[in-house]
Amino acid sequence: MANETQKVFDTGQPVLSIDGLNVSYPVYGEDPVQAVRDLDLHIQPGEIVGLVGESGSGKTTLARSVMGLLVQPGRVDTGTIQFDGKDLRALPEKQLRAVRGKDIAMVIPNPRSELDPLVTVGRQISNVARAHLGIKRDEADQMAMDMLNAVQIPDPDRRFKAYPHELSGGMAQRVVMAISLVCSPKFVISDDATSGLDVTVQAQVLDLLRALVRSHNTAMLFITRDIGITAHFCDRVAVIYAGEIVEIAPMQSFFENPMHPYSVMLLAAFAHNPTLRAKWHKPLASAAPAHGGACAYAGRCVHAEDHCRQNSAELRELAPGHLVRCHFPVERPL
Amino acid sequence: MTHHPGPAEVDASVNEAGEPGVKPPGSSGFLASWRARLRFLLAVLASRPLFAVGYIIVFAVILLAIFAPWIAPYHPEKANPTDYLQAPSWRHLLGTDQTGMDIFSRIIYAPRIDLTIAIGGTAISAIVGSLIGAVVGYYQEMGGTRSLAAGFIMRTADVLQAFPVFVFAIALVAIFGQSLQSIIAAIAFVNAPIYLRLMRSQVLSIRNMRYIEAAYVSGANDMNIMLRHVIPNSMAPILSQLSVNIGWSVLLTAALSFVGAGVEAPIPEWGSMIAMGFGNIITGQWWPSVFPGIALGVTVFGFALVGASVEVLADPARRRALAGTLREKKRPNAPSKQPAEAA
Amino acid sequence: MRVLRYIGRRMLFIVPQLVGIVLVSFLLVKMIPGDPAVMMVGPMASAETLAKLRTELGLDGSIMYQFWIYLTNLVQGDLGTSWQTTRPVLNDLFVRFPATLELITLSLLLALLIGIPLGVAAAYFRRSVVKKFSDYYGLLAGALPDFWLGMILIYFFYTIFQIAPAPLGRIGFAVMTPSPVTNFLIIDCILEGNWQALWSTLGHLILPVVTLGVITAGPILKMTQSTMERMLESDFIRYADMCGLPKSVVIRQAFRNSLPSIVTIVSVLYGFLVGGAVLVEIVFSWGGAGQYAVQGVLNADINPVLGFVLFSAVLSLIIYLIVDLIYFAIDPRIRG
Repeated sequence: MANETQKVFDTGQPVLSIDGLNVSYPVYGEDPVQAVRDLDLHIQPGEIVGLVGESGSGKTTLARSVMGLLVQPGRVDTGTIQFDGKDLRALPEKQLRAVRGKDIAMVIPNPRSELDPLVTVGRQISNVARAHLGIKRDEADQMAMDMLNAVQIPDPDRRFKAYPHELSGGMAQRVVMAISLVCSPKFVISDDATSGLDVTVQAQVLDLLRALVRSHNTAMLFITRDIGITAHFCDRVAVIYAGEIVEIAPMQSFFENPMHPYSVMLLAAFAHNPTLRAKWHKPLASAAPAHGGACAYAGRCVHAEDHCRQNSAELRELAPGHLVRCHFPVERPL
Repeated sequence: MTHHPGPAEVDASVNEAGEPGVKPPGSSGFLASWRARLRFLLAVLASRPLFAVGYIIVFAVILLAIFAPWIAPYHPEKANPTDYLQAPSWRHLLGTDQTGMDIFSRIIYAPRIDLTIAIGGTAISAIVGSLIGAVVGYYQEMGGTRSLAAGFIMRTADVLQAFPVFVFAIALVAIFGQSLQSIIAAIAFVNAPIYLRLMRSQVLSIRNMRYIEAAYVSGANDMNIMLRHVIPNSMAPILSQLSVNIGWSVLLTAALSFVGAGVEAPIPEWGSMIAMGFGNIITGQWWPSVFPGIALGVTVFGFALVGASVEVLADPARRRALAGTLREKKRPNAPSKQPAEAA
Repeated sequence: MRVLRYIGRRMLFIVPQLVGIVLVSFLLVKMIPGDPAVMMVGPMASAETLAKLRTELGLDGSIMYQFWIYLTNLVQGDLGTSWQTTRPVLNDLFVRFPATLELITLSLLLALLIGIPLGVAAAYFRRSVVKKFSDYYGLLAGALPDFWLGMILIYFFYTIFQIAPAPLGRIGFAVMTPSPVTNFLIIDCILEGNWQALWSTLGHLILPVVTLGVITAGPILKMTQSTMERMLESDFIRYADMCGLPKSVVIRQAFRNSLPSIVTIVSVLYGFLVGGAVLVEIVFSWGGAGQYAVQGVLNADINPVLGFVLFSAVLSLIIYLIVDLIYFAIDPRIRG
């Protein structure tokens, strides 16, 4: 799959545009923690963008900002989130609810605790369809049944009447996908969706998700900690560190020529090559990413120079569609 | 992924503690110094005035109890038959009861006995109950005779708790005879199973934490582990229960007196005062019952508020959540966020 | 059937549990000082009469012997006699338990009507007046003595406004009481079609029910609120929000998942109120079961106390059984 010819997306009207997004969490007695900082991201219809970063880098915060469901006390400080021409931040709660689940759907990890334990899975799928499409119960149940078939659940008739605790993790994940896709959304956010599954199951579920999304020409933001998955999966890859996108590029360009030291470090770690890893990984002197007047990654960068510690870095386009936030981009990493 | 502490915190905790979960909770650096704690407490009280009200009430009631002889205008147990059932006036601020005793003075003296009973009973039950609970929780899953004994203690507590609380308390007072000590004993007895259960469930959940295992592996004995790790880390719910329980015990004391199984008549006690005024309220003299009831209600309310504040403050997660809602003004000389401080 | 097997297993534990409770309460009341024989015949009676009475009552044997006698009588449905009322305890309890149950059942219904909507609203609108109000309400209801509140209500509605009946029992003196069938007055009145008595009964119920209901709503409110808050923050509710389900659906979903906790607290309160309503019963001269037991304790009249404890123990066992059945109905995980 990695060698599949790269799909080219016209640069027309993006389905989702995020511009200048800043999200922070206030902390008592300290400066607020800036979880997402000046983030721009544009996703074309049908495009799959992988977003890679470590825990705490702001991935989930970004996803939740798009859904308008930030965890308290987080707040969007500035920025716009445009979906399909609508400014999501300006939409009143009621209209936002109509968008969620219908036009923008989310696939989440740990699916068994995300399903209502007291309702059969079939009903949970048809409830979403009923809420958004204004259809009758029978019709919605039929759609739910079709969805269960589409996500290739074995023995769907029986599973329709099953309760979440009776499903395996992989099956529950398929149910969550069915819920997300039942209204044929234009945009799907998958937030680390398969992280709790066995590796083999994970691969099946991912292939299925990709096939379903592609067949409906649905755009997707695919959030993951596993940079390896993005290689099989995405049209573009974005790497996020400390709330900033440090590198964003078409898939092929990214894997052939990664330019940010952090991306290189992630790839080196993924390659399971101890020498490479040692070369790009620096034992942490200071863990805190320094913002303002310095490159956020300077503290962990093996190539950091005084210049990096005194000047913040900007995103620069160094190859077609390939943007890097680094003063001294890596030329021959491996 | 519900809580987003930001990159700084995540990195630091992973690097320094090695594995999350090995460090005992409560050692987080947020609120490191006593000054920071005090400042935090004041900020909390400022943003939650209700909590402040609770502390003020409790403080005031304790002061009243201590300084009653200097504040009260009349002797609390001296009947003045010519002055019976006087409505509130300047001479008798809250009026007099049917025997002519000054209600204001009696209300001020009452916390002496009510609080003695409630605090005494609660303290005994908390100490005895939680010690037994800790031992039971610690040994329950170890097998052998010790776990059998633990099981037996729990079944006994089951049977004791199956009794209707109030009838049980009255029966205890009846057995021990109507005295201050026996009321305290009755209240301690009724409350002890609460602490036993609370402590046991706490210890059961803490017992299997990795820092207990770590202490065990590094050679600490049972006693040591219990005193230095298990009990300190189980205290939060016990502490928050204490204050609420004191308030509840005040209510129980009053109820015992109300049915005539508690403090005996001329001694100033809110419940017995309410009972004494019961006959009068039907005929329209409301003050002998109403005022002690208000005093009682306000006191219990105060203790409940303090309990509620402790419940929030003693729980690290809820404390953090509360801190998140405080809109503290940035101090001009605030130390800039250093990595060391975040760890 | 799974349910039946489940109930059967529960029943196995009931008998030893009951014997344990009766034994402990027997020992307990036996420790209460005071000689029932002396109390019955008075201090002036001759030693001979006393001795005779003691033998009659079985008071001259050992404690275990007395307990044995009590148990054998119990098996035959004889709970002994109260020397205060001079009637068999069983007969007394058949009048007094319904009085208490009628009172506390209605009170709990009122408490549910107040507590649940308020708790749900307070959990959902977390920065609203409702939330503030319910915080205060929970604290106040926990702080006010119910017997005092009852007296205040009597003062206003009986003494001042004179719209409530005198706080003297369950029904007016001037009314023909219905013939006792169930001893639940409301039911008896309806069975007999005695509307005047029904009206009077309901009138007498209002104040004590409001007293207990308003106070008991506190814990129900708190439990509803805290469980709902936890549910609304749970993963599956956040997911329901992400799926854009309408607010009303999301709230209903959270509420359904909160039901087990609410049912539990209601059952605990019900068990507590059987004895805990005694103060309100005294204030309104209700003649309930708790009052009967308290009078027994205070006058070394042990049979009523034992009978009361036994009745309440059986009642709470029945309640717990019902609670388990409700869990069964609500939660597929228990059905397994």
